[in-house]
Parts: sequence; structure tokens; C-alpha cells
Amino acid sequence: MKTEHVTKTLPTLFLTVVLLLFAETAFTLDVEALVRQVEQQYMGASSRAQTTMLVKTSHWERSLEMEAWSLDRDYFLVRIIEPAKERDVATLKRYREVWNYLPKVDRVIKVPPSMMGGSWMGSHITNDDLVKANHIEKDYNLRLIEETETYFLVECLPKTDAAVVWGKIVYRINKTPQVPEQVDYYDEEMVRVREIHFDDVQQIGDRIVPMRLTVLPLEKPDEQTILHYRELVFDLPLDETYFSLRNLKKP
Amino acid sequence: MLLTLAFRNLWRNRRRTLLTLSAMVVSAALLILALGVFSGMFRDMLASATEQYYGHLVLAQTEYHERRDLFAHLDEEVASRYITAEETEIIGISPRLRSFGLISLAETSQPVEVLGVIPEREKQVTSLQTKLIAGDYPSDAVSNGALIGQGLARKLKVSTGDEMVFVTQAADGSIGNDLLIVTGIFATGDSRHDNNLVLAPLQWVQQVMVLPGRIHEVAMTLADPMLASLAADRLNPRLPGDVEILDWGDLLPEMREVIAAYDVSRMIIVSILYMATGLGILNTFFMSVMERTREFGILMAQGMRPWTIRGLVLLETCILGGIALAIGLTCGALMTLYMQQVGIDLAGYITPVTYAGGTILPRLHAVFEAGNFYVPAGMLLLVSLIAGFLPANRAARLDPVQAVREV
Repeated sequence: MKTEHVTKTLPTLFLTVVLLLFAETAFTLDVEALVRQVEQQYMGASSRAQTTMLVKTSHWERSLEMEAWSLDRDYFLVRIIEPAKERDVATLKRYREVWNYLPKVDRVIKVPPSMMGGSWMGSHITNDDLVKANHIEKDYNLRLIEETETYFLVECLPKTDAAVVWGKIVYRINKTPQVPEQVDYYDEEMVRVREIHFDDVQQIGDRIVPMRLTVLPLEKPDEQTILHYRELVFDLPLDETYFSLRNLKKP
Repeated sequence: MLLTLAFRNLWRNRRRTLLTLSAMVVSAALLILALGVFSGMFRDMLASATEQYYGHLVLAQTEYHERRDLFAHLDEEVASRYITAEETEIIGISPRLRSFGLISLAETSQPVEVLGVIPEREKQVTSLQTKLIAGDYPSDAVSNGALIGQGLARKLKVSTGDEMVFVTQAADGSIGNDLLIVTGIFATGDSRHDNNLVLAPLQWVQQVMVLPGRIHEVAMTLADPMLASLAADRLNPRLPGDVEILDWGDLLPEMREVIAAYDVSRMIIVSILYMATGLGILNTFFMSVMERTREFGILMAQGMRPWTIRGLVLLETCILGGIALAIGLTCGALMTLYMQQVGIDLAGYITPVTYAGGTILPRLHAVFEAGNFYVPAGMLLLVSLIAGFLPANRAARLDPVQAVREV
């Protein structure tokens, strides 16, 4: 099947959320400083989430129960719990590498560059952004383009030498509470091809997080992926060793 | 009488006639050989695309060929509904399910195209079983046996008996994955197939893709590939609107053009070569007619009509042409036969060239094609007649009184 350049990945979404959560103070002043601060504040941050992913395409619909762990911006592990047929199928991201574990054949497979644009777990989320979108402020120039009573609009344009998928990304961030509302993705022709909407905002510990993300591939109006966080915990005692290939295989 | 006369006249200057004759024979024979080799090259090209992959006719959902849509699948038994046993020119029918994905071994992965086939049926359509360099063609005995190309085997560093993981997007959205065992390795010389193509049992692919009982296409072979578009035109009206049969010309439009261009270039080559031969014939008969001016004068004086004279000379050229044709065709056919049976292997000098969707193999190899015989044959007779016409006319227009006085 052809790859779908429709969405970014789950960890990206995590990151988007977290990145924006930490953005509070410096944001209105200087976007670059904001990003730097976000990056520093993010260091050491870890999380665990129980999620439900609903994927709807014109041919099928399915629902996945997943458990996910993340550390910094560089480590991410997600494992399928339901349905039973796909139980323990897992994805590990370490820096710019993505690995999948397939319990049926008991093999760990590294996702090759040619498949990075491919759909992740059949959703409108691709492997590619899992790696690339984690470096938003490295690959894109950020600029505040609009500020209203209720929200900020931040435009991200790719740097000239950056190997990126999108022609432009626009974030709309709510002011109080400071959470993302919507992210729009444009292709090289500046046509908007994907939207991610955030809602169900809740307080988790001392943070305020939108618990539901809806990914809409605009080329296919009848398709969508909804990612719902049923449980989200921050600042767990996780280190890099947890994100090993061995752990990818063992629940 | 005229025939005997013409025949005798031919052999009056034996050396000259033999020289002309040999020029005609050589040009005809070499032409037939060269055209046979050209045809062999095109046949190889067409075969590399059809007999190693497509087949001559492909039945699939409309636009499946362009979009390769995973969901454009058909019932496994679709062929038997529309293609009856009366279609005797169809000699092979193979249902296939196609899947694009990755073959992985630890850290190496290669993008591949897996064709799910029923081995015994597929052998009627493609000839990969004749291209094996290791192992065996998959059989029903191994439920997950795979035939892979040489290039892929090299990239993955696998040999027969090794296990590989195939990963793809299944039709229900899940990650389709399972183990394949390499049973055989083929080498076609076509890098696209050698590097990407994997043949696996149909049921195995159906299970991995969660498409039980479904196929994407039915590939068919014909006794004569050149009749593919006629067969497609005849069969298509029987099919429902969302299913169509494409012939290899639709699948490989460049190839169709190359072969059509060949028919034109064959005429050009034949014309150029025969132009030279024709001048030789012309020269011979002018000489012959000039020498016999006195003789023609006497014949005319005795009452032979000019058109009989003309007929005599034309008959001579025709006899010469006929003899040249007989020997030339025989020699040409013998040389073509040799090139068909033995051929010349160029593998040491050049590598396979992929062109217009097919692969030209590094070998000189001829095939028999009717056009390669009748075009040179017909042209040779035509050239003989044209070349004979001018001298014949000259002979017929002679004034008997002056001609008789000529020394």
C-alpha cells in the first residue's frame, strides 16, 4: 500500500502537548527563547499514558488500546494491549530510529528510511514525524503571526537546509489555559492537508493537558484518527535503559 | 519456348549471372538473419515484461493497473466466470494477490512486491521457473515458501532455506506480518524484478493481508502474444463495468510503440539494402541487353513482337530473382535456425539493458517470424522486376533494321 503523508506520530502529539504546556512565560516575548526554554524544561520529563486510538478510514474502522512511555524528546515506547490479535505489537523510538516488535513472528524490525512515511499501526499517523517533528524548532523557523484575546498563532516555516515533510505548520494556542487548540499542516504547495484538533482539556498534576487529539487528513474527508488519553502520568522514574530493544520485546 | 529461351540466355554469361545471383542471395539471406535477430531481441524484451511478470492479458478492476489500490480486489474465482474453456488461445490463467511491503532480516529491510500465486497456475503464465539459479520453485508442499530475485537475495544476504519476515499494511488496518522461507532464487537480468519481486503462495498472502478468498488480478498467457489486443477487445464486452482486461500493449505502451516502430524500420532496412542489390541487377541486365542488340534485331525481324521481347527480359530477371530467392531464403532460414538454436552469448561483453519496460538480454538470438521472410522475399522479386524493366523496355524499343546492323 502507498504511504500516507497524512499525520505526525503519537509521540509528536505528546510532544506538541508537552512543548506547548511548558511554553507559558517566554512565549509572548520571543518565540525562539520560548523554544529554548521548552527544550530545557523538557529535559528529564517522562510520562506514561493509557490511550485509546480510534482509526476510521473509508475501508475499515478499528480501535486500539495502547500503553505508552516517553522520556525526554528522544525515547518513546508504545505497546498495543487490545485487540488480542495484535497484543504486544510495540514501537520503540530512539533518537532518529524507529523499531517495531512483531510478536507473531517474534522479530524486532527497524523501520527503514523508505518506510518512514508509512502509516503507523494503520492510523493517520506516520513513522516519519515521530522522528522529524521532535525537532520542530531545529528544522523550522518559528514566528508569532497573530495574537488575540484568547489565542496565539505561531507559524513554522522550514529552514532552507532542513529535510522536512511539511511546507508550513501553524499552531493555534489557547492563552488560558495555555494549551494547543489546533495545528494545521501544509504541504510544499502551501495547501492545507492535515489538521489536528485538541479538546477535553484536563488538569493532570500541576499541568493542564488536552486529553483528546483528532487527526483529520483533509484529502480524505471521511477518515480520521482519534487519540484519547484515558490516563496520563508525568515525571516517572524512567531512564534510557527502559527504552531498550530487549524491553521492546518484553511487556 | 520463351521460358527455355530466357533460361538459356541467363547462362550465356555464366560468371556475370552467378555474381549477380550471389549478391542477391547474400543480401536476402543476411537480411533474413538480421531481421530474425532483431525480432529475437524484441521477443526477449517482450518476454521479459510479460513472461516474467505481467502475462499477456491481465484482468483486474478498472484502474487497478495505475493505482495498485489494495482494496481493489476481486473474487478468487472471477476468471472462471468470464473466461470459458472455449477460449483455446488462452493457454495459462493465474490468479494473483499483490502486496507491497518490506522484507526484513534483523536490521536490513528491503521494499518488495509480493505476488501471491498458485504455483502450478503461475507457471503457465510466467516462466520464472526457467530462471532459477538456486533452489526450487515454490510448491504447495511449503505453505510459506517464497521465490525471490537474485538482487534481493544478495541485498538481504539470504540463501535457500533462510527465513525472512514480510511486513505490510493489511486490509483491516493491522500490521500484516509473517515468516517466509526462501525456496528458490531466480535471475532474469531485469533489475526491477531481480531486486523487488517475491512470489509466495496465494493463501499465505491472503492470510497476511487479511483478504481471504480475494485476488487483485488474473494474469493470462496467449499462444500468440501478438494477438493479445484482439483477444482483449473480444473479451472485454463480456465483463461488468468495474472489471477490465488489459493486454500487454496497454500495460507497456512504450513496448507497443517500439514494436510498431520495428515494422517501419524493417521496411527501411530492406529498402536500403535492396536498392544496392537492385542497382547490381540493373547493371547486369543492361549489359546483357546491350550485348544482344543484334540478336534482338534478328528476333524482331523474324516477327517477334516487342512485348514478347520485353517479356523475355523480364522473365530472365524473374528467373534470376526466383533462384536467388530460393537459395537466399534457404540460407537465411538455416542461419536463423542456427541463431535460434545456438545463438551468440554476449554476457561477457555487455550487461542486460532495460528499455521500454523490457529487458534486452546480452545475447544474439533469432526467432522465426513470417514477416521477416515475406517482406524480404516480396521486395526481392519487386526489385528484380523494377531493375529488369528498364533494360526490357530498351530491348523492346529497338529498331530491328538498326539493331541487326549493330556489331
